[in-house]
Amino acid sequence: MQALTSRSLARSSRSIRAFSTSPGRWQAEPLQKPVLQKEFKIYRWNPDEPAKKPHLQSYTIDLNQTGPMILDALIKIKNEIDPTLTFRRSCREGICGSCAMNIDGQNTLACLCRIDRNASKDSKIYPLPHMYIVKDLVPDLTLFYKQYKSIKPYLQNDNVPEREHLQSPEDRKKLDGMYECILCACCSTSCPSYWWNQDEYLGPAALMAAYRWIADSRDTYGAQRKEHFQNELSLFRCHTIFNCSRTCPKGLNPAKAIAEIKLALATE
Amino acid sequence: MSTSMLRTTLSRRLPAAAHQVRHAASTAYVPGGPIYKGTVNDPTTFPPPSRSHGSYHWAFERLLSAGLVPLTAAAFVTSGTNYPILDGILGISLVMHSHIGFDSMIVDYLHPRKFPLIGPIVSWTLRTATVGVLVGVYQFNTNDIGLTELIARVWTA
Repeated sequence: MQALTSRSLARSSRSIRAFSTSPGRWQAEPLQKPVLQKEFKIYRWNPDEPAKKPHLQSYTIDLNQTGPMILDALIKIKNEIDPTLTFRRSCREGICGSCAMNIDGQNTLACLCRIDRNASKDSKIYPLPHMYIVKDLVPDLTLFYKQYKSIKPYLQNDNVPEREHLQSPEDRKKLDGMYECILCACCSTSCPSYWWNQDEYLGPAALMAAYRWIADSRDTYGAQRKEHFQNELSLFRCHTIFNCSRTCPKGLNPAKAIAEIKLALATE
Repeated sequence: MSTSMLRTTLSRRLPAAAHQVRHAASTAYVPGGPIYKGTVNDPTTFPPPSRSHGSYHWAFERLLSAGLVPLTAAAFVTSGTNYPILDGILGISLVMHSHIGFDSMIVDYLHPRKFPLIGPIVSWTLRTATVGVLVGVYQFNTNDIGLTELIARVWTA
């Protein structure tokens, strides 16, 4: 102890700064985390080589040097192993819907999906199923957005009040579970009906968005909105498969919204 | 002011893009394919509304399915020879129920917009089969033992 004090005194006499930054040898050594290598198999397809078939590319990273989510692993792979790996991401907290992809057979957001710590099993990452692929994990969502636009996702009301639109708490409650949709397309691309007939069937995401406005007490165009669905393909290709509700990374229930539209149409 | 200015600048700047859009719109439409109707900013369109293809069809289908449950139970506890009307209703409902089911499969997987040749052929095959089965059930119920009695006999055979 005495020796220690005298040494630090001697050092502080050289410079006052050295005292605070002197390494404490009495501090514990930080524990080295064990290496936990896990294999990720990721769908790759490059539009610049259209003749080359899509394939799964394997990457192995140390999970103990990676964040907890699949998105962290993807970013680590892109940063450290393969900068050509292409995927969409933005908010990393499940509110933008950019990083929707098929992870281990389930459509979900990469940023909300924990990495399975079982290193003996690989994780397979594909883009959203049955979509045209722009590159690697990036699907073409043009049609999805065109369909969303077709249901007029905005308030339509000819009797504009002098001040704000008033709404009772009960009416506001009807929108809970629908307005939270972030349009990540996980539900629509998990729906077999949407796979086979996506050029005509709107899919769960657009239909729930439609019902969000049909159910809104401030919107007066409910009849016109419902009239659009009076054909065999736009709405009635829903066969209550419930993949949409099962896969929704936000925990919403598009199947219920579609059932409500069907009931509203049948009891009109 | 600013929007009109922007629009003129855009149209002057992007003659190639405008041409591409016109080209895409005039290209033959492939159902489900990567060629979109109109520009990427146009919403998709809806077919003309028809309640008989929409809510009426759906409500009828559901009521028929629900009605088949008590109808089957009634046929189970009664005898087809004593209640020929019930037997007839059951025969027609079953055939309609299966026709709607098969038709739904054709709309899902073999829709004429995607299969311009096979679609109509399958559709008309189904219609012919349904009419044929209806005639057969009618003949069987009037000239023979009838559906319920047949199932009862096979059951105890």
